[in-house]
Amino acid sequence: MKYFSHQNVTSAKEGVSCAKDCNGKASFIAGGTDLLGILKDNLLPTYPEKLINLKTIEALAGVENLDGVVRIGALTKLSALERDLEITRNFPALASAAASVATPEIRNAATLGGNLCQDTRCWYYRYPNHMGGRMDCPRKGSGPCHAVLGDNRYHSVVDGKRCFAPCPSDTAVALAALGATVEVLGIEGAKNLPIEEIYSPMGTVLKAEEILTHIDIPAPPPESIQGFKKFTVRKPIDFAIVSIAAKVNITNGIVDGANIFFGAVAPQPYRDEAVESALIGEKFDTKSIAKAAGQALVKAKPLSMNAYKIDIARTLTVELLESFII
Amino acid sequence: MSYERSNWIKFHVNGDCREFAIGARPGELPPSETLADTLRERLGLTGTKVGCDRGSCCSCTVLINGVPSLSCMTLTVECDGASVTTIEGLPDPATGELDPLQQAFIDHTAYQCGFCTPGMIIAAKALLTEVSSPTEEEIKVALGGHYCRCISHYHVLDAVADAAGRKR
Repeated sequence: MKYFSHQNVTSAKEGVSCAKDCNGKASFIAGGTDLLGILKDNLLPTYPEKLINLKTIEALAGVENLDGVVRIGALTKLSALERDLEITRNFPALASAAASVATPEIRNAATLGGNLCQDTRCWYYRYPNHMGGRMDCPRKGSGPCHAVLGDNRYHSVVDGKRCFAPCPSDTAVALAALGATVEVLGIEGAKNLPIEEIYSPMGTVLKAEEILTHIDIPAPPPESIQGFKKFTVRKPIDFAIVSIAAKVNITNGIVDGANIFFGAVAPQPYRDEAVESALIGEKFDTKSIAKAAGQALVKAKPLSMNAYKIDIARTLTVELLESFII
Repeated sequence: MSYERSNWIKFHVNGDCREFAIGARPGELPPSETLADTLRERLGLTGTKVGCDRGSCCSCTVLINGVPSLSCMTLTVECDGASVTTIEGLPDPATGELDPLQQAFIDHTAYQCGFCTPGMIIAAKALLTEVSSPTEEEIKVALGGHYCRCISHYHVLDAVADAAGRKR
């Protein structure tokens, strides 16, 4: 890696002001499992002069229950999350999404905030600079999208615009289905956003000096059932080809609420309202599930090589929702 | 010549205290250096192997405060105060006797080229410290990220189960 200086900060506020002083020439490092790969491959036209280490902010690691809302510090490690009693008991969808990420070694370093803010896995974007030069694209500020006319088997099937890379985060999909919000600290102070709104086709909407500090999840109604499922070729290490997270409320056998989100099909966790409305008001059985699953991604406009993702999404919908039938 | 204290970091490697000056001048450790490079190039502990250098193969796994960690994706500057254990730290320092896990890998020939073996043994060591007699599934999950191009995995499962004091 090329040289950069390094600074530990002890509060998010200090991190923001430190980044501001660097005028966009600094990057934040948390777990580093994504960032160091980007720096080693020299992917981006810009290279940070300084890394601001957030891991030294002790207040941002951990899970606490605040009166019906569970607040997770962004620096909580994925390995801690998958084992946390509060999370495994009340938010099994999130625990299973966290446990599905990469490998145990990566989960020991990677943080929840970092998993949400990680950069895209588009293989054109990720092409290393030392092997004939990096591939510029709209996301890097200039050049065409290579995926549109190239090999786009792992790209978005819906909502892509200029960039067709899907959101690679598994935990974002589970958090979206659980109705989570995130707190972002910037120069003007803190703001709260629904989790899916931090994503745009060109990456997260966070500014260079903004830090995602907390993730807040409202307590689920006691009668709701939730889960997460991810399709990959290999079990460890792989990013999702398609993932799904669902939270379904069932009263007297009838569905009266459904949150269905797909991952790795769009630049953000994709809310599938067609599946949700097909489920609501129906008896929750294999017949209604099969009918609703047939609606999955009906609005998709797949690229040349990724229409298969729609079939996988429908199969995952059936598998996940049928596992909810007691 | 004096340095400010904050320009130095100190951590333990296999029980030995190591101190480094951080900076860009000759002899100083640049903040951009990974732990894998520090272990191999500065300390000569070449038992830790670097395969992909991108966190995908787990060859470079070492224990940082007892937790299996990727040394290629860890900045040395962030190890201040930590305790690092590499494959060289497993044998008994007084007698040189191998760790039972290392001996089990030899007994089961749980390797061919051996490049991934140090990482596998380190991760298995952490598993056995946490779970004294893991199930086969637990071993598979704990070692799931460790790539072996020689397909030694079957023998590794036997070796780890054997080291855990169980014959399968």
